[in-house]
Amino acid sequence: MSDLIWSAIAPEILLVIVAALVLVVEVWKRPPLKSMALLIGAGLAGTWAAWFLQFSRLQDLVELGSPGALAFNGMVVSDGTSVIAELILLVILTLGVALAWPMLAEIGQRSAETLVLMFLATSGFMFLVASANLVMAFIGLEVGSISLYVLAAVARKSRLADEAAMKYFLLGSFASAVFIYGVALLYAGSGSVSIDALAVFNGRIIVSPGVLYVSMAMLVVGVLFKVTAAPFHAWAPDVYQGSAAGVVGFMAASAKVGGFVALVRIVGITFVRFSVDWRPALAAIAALSIVLGTLLALSQTDFRRMLAYSGVAHAGFILVGVAAGRSATESILFYLAVYTVQLVAAFGIAAMVSGPTSSGSPFSSYKGLASRSPLMAAGLAVTMLGMSGMPITSGFIGKLGVFRSAWAQGLEWVVVVALVASVAAFFFYLRVIVDMYMRDADEDTADVPDEPPVAGRLAIAVAVVITILFGLYPAPLLDLIRNVVS
Amino acid sequence: MDFPMLSVLILVPVLAAVIVMVLPANRTELHLPVALVLSLLPVGLAGVLFARFESAAGFQFVEQAALIERWGISWHLGIDGIALPLILLTTVLVPISIAASTSIAKSPQLFLAMVLLLEAGLIGVFSALDLIVFFVFFEAILIPMYFIIGIWGSENRIYAAIKFFLYTAFGSALMLAGIIALSVLQQQKTGFASFDYNELLTLEIAPGTQAWLFAVFGIAFAIKVPMFPVHTWLPDAHVQAPTAGSVLLAGVMLKLGTYGFLRFNLPLFPDAAVKYAPVVATLAVIGIVYGAAVAIVQTDLKKLVAYSSVSHLGFIMLGIVAFTQSGLDGGVIQMVNHGITTGALFLLVGMLYERRHTKLIADFGGLQKTMPIFAGVFLFSTFASIGLPGLNGFVGEFLVLVGSYATRPVFAIIATAGVVLAAIYLLWAYERVFTGEPDKPENVNVPDLNLRETLIFVPLIILILTLGLYPKVLLNRIEPSTAAIIDRIEATTDFVEPTFVIGEPSE
Repeated sequence: MSDLIWSAIAPEILLVIVAALVLVVEVWKRPPLKSMALLIGAGLAGTWAAWFLQFSRLQDLVELGSPGALAFNGMVVSDGTSVIAELILLVILTLGVALAWPMLAEIGQRSAETLVLMFLATSGFMFLVASANLVMAFIGLEVGSISLYVLAAVARKSRLADEAAMKYFLLGSFASAVFIYGVALLYAGSGSVSIDALAVFNGRIIVSPGVLYVSMAMLVVGVLFKVTAAPFHAWAPDVYQGSAAGVVGFMAASAKVGGFVALVRIVGITFVRFSVDWRPALAAIAALSIVLGTLLALSQTDFRRMLAYSGVAHAGFILVGVAAGRSATESILFYLAVYTVQLVAAFGIAAMVSGPTSSGSPFSSYKGLASRSPLMAAGLAVTMLGMSGMPITSGFIGKLGVFRSAWAQGLEWVVVVALVASVAAFFFYLRVIVDMYMRDADEDTADVPDEPPVAGRLAIAVAVVITILFGLYPAPLLDLIRNVVS
Repeated sequence: MDFPMLSVLILVPVLAAVIVMVLPANRTELHLPVALVLSLLPVGLAGVLFARFESAAGFQFVEQAALIERWGISWHLGIDGIALPLILLTTVLVPISIAASTSIAKSPQLFLAMVLLLEAGLIGVFSALDLIVFFVFFEAILIPMYFIIGIWGSENRIYAAIKFFLYTAFGSALMLAGIIALSVLQQQKTGFASFDYNELLTLEIAPGTQAWLFAVFGIAFAIKVPMFPVHTWLPDAHVQAPTAGSVLLAGVMLKLGTYGFLRFNLPLFPDAAVKYAPVVATLAVIGIVYGAAVAIVQTDLKKLVAYSSVSHLGFIMLGIVAFTQSGLDGGVIQMVNHGITTGALFLLVGMLYERRHTKLIADFGGLQKTMPIFAGVFLFSTFASIGLPGLNGFVGEFLVLVGSYATRPVFAIIATAGVVLAAIYLLWAYERVFTGEPDKPENVNVPDLNLRETLIFVPLIILILTLGLYPKVLLNRIEPSTAAIIDRIEATTDFVEPTFVIGEPSE
């Protein structure tokens, strides 16, 4: 076969190899965590190098006028969307490992498994974003999701954590089942599971359109569940509150990237001819997610639950872009890049404030944080402003991008709903800042958290730089995306 | 212009903020002087702007560089005769507010940095010629002000800070929808996206579209002004804010609203502006009378000054929607005047509070005897605020009243009542606080202004006198730009400026 382009899946292969090595070394030598850090560091560096290789190959292709290349008999594709999404996943993994380190140190024996699961989850989501075939997409989705189910329970100390992992597993499997059912229906009707071929096939419908609509709805619903869009979000608050603190940011962020890129491919390629049908539906789901997420986030008393509901609203914002169609792809990728980094950083700081294996992170723990740990407070303040879409942060640029595309596509009403909701959202993002800067610590406040370790500080710094720098001057990141995404 | 003056003017306060933040935290005696000295640099730069500014229409000191090319966003700066006085005002008020902030005890470095960042944002708003850049600055200044009120304000500060933030953010969100709509419209008509002010000026917008765009921009700016009935955030924010916050809030930030009307609502949507001017004028006049009436019954001195702002800003709005040369000129110059006099009054109230830890009028009495210099400065600022001829307030209010009489005589006549009411609330307050015998023991030994405090008022007093006696120094520079706005309205609508000229008999 001439299309065994190994570089197209080199990052994924390396991630799996590192995961396997970590497992073997752990069983064989039981090295201290510090030596393990060397292996992990080398593995990450290798994966980054593999990504650069893939990226430069793609750049050559783009210069020749090709949008990308299919590989492995049309199973995976290496195009702008997949390469940028893999970049985002790699950043999340790197930051996620850095921020998870205090937790790894605390849970001791299970730390190797945690690392293995993080690497495997990333490889799964990478396959998902690079899939050109719905079965491939399902496999990627499942490798990623199953790793996350286990991660949720990796440091469980309380009933909350058990509940979180169980809920995540049951509802997640249900969503995956819905997704694969959709794939099966589509295959039954057309005889194909290729994302591209189905687009051609759907141009001249042979089966009854009903089958097509049902399968489209099932595929979309299966993915919307993973990205916590309303009304498929009910699991998110419990899972984000109860899961292991050190990795919950990684879990939330990587699932969102994988899910949204898959969604962009499915509705943007396979069902591109049916935009009349899915556009109003996705717009309605977007509006519902934004309004519901914002309203529910307003009444939370726990920071991590608040982040979960704000994630529902953010899923809605990104869906506004998905509903706008392919013209919004670069804005969606920009949005995903900055939002997920902020999400990882925010959960990371929550883990530092409430403890690396804690379940939940009540707002009272943040009182007076600015005087106890100025660095963490400033980092969290910047990420909160970034998530709220405040101008001068990259969150604003992301929102501006999707709103522009949506407005031009005639979805004005969703943009207005989203804008009004983002004002209400200021209330809960600012609430954390109020607690950190404008109130003093009292008896409800947890013990004084230590200043974060070096890796944690670096991760916070990266999130702050991405938030402010790309807020003031977004051109480099936008150009990077635009140069490869046609 | 080769040298990017405006970018430098925005950057200098940012760098100053960084410098103040990296000073050693334990050397508290350094923080304020360093910030003060650094905040004088923008004053010098603004002075250069003022000296080099040519009295002509159009934008000067223009600089442009692409930020996001495909979305049509560029770093486009430039100032005209409307922006110039406001930038001057900003740079002058910042060192004054810093000098008046000696009583800030909690993390003074952060406070000074926030004031300097606020300055950078304000200069950015007044010089931005790209709607997204404008919007970014317009929103970004909320952050430092939110912190200034929320961290260093008085008891009810958190409520006031959030109320201030949410009110303004709500208006801005609507405006952002309008900005996006404008650029999409531009893309549909010309094929390329742009947020550039000059590009959007050439856009022909259907009257129906103009109406709603005028409304969304108008609501955003009306909240900022603040116009009746969206003024309710203002008393809370002012009363809770520390002195420096109040000075910059009233002195400069409120002008963002009136500036926005002049810069965007009138030139971009002239049809709608002419059509809806009576609505705006009605709200302005209600604001004038209502603000003054409420100010009369205030028992808190700071709240009194806050409500007087509602009244005074009503004058500015009335002048702006008069669409006459004197009305617009009066509006612009009154923005500067109000910044100076209200700034002075807030400083005075703040100093009084530092001495007596109360702002209630009833707690004072007979202070003239114990602090004569203070009382003198207060009376002087009061007269300037009332609009005593020879002082700055007179020039602005007179021009506004003359200008609006030409197009809307009834409104002008009712607005005149505001001048009388201003005399009542301010002089009555003066009487209760300063005249008579100090009958309360706490009021007997109140120290008068010290040297630092006296020096703070020197520039303000000079400005009050200069603008009162020789307003031409500013009017010369303002006039070509305001005339251009009226020309544009006349060219695009069937509105004709009445030929009513001061000193000449009308037909």
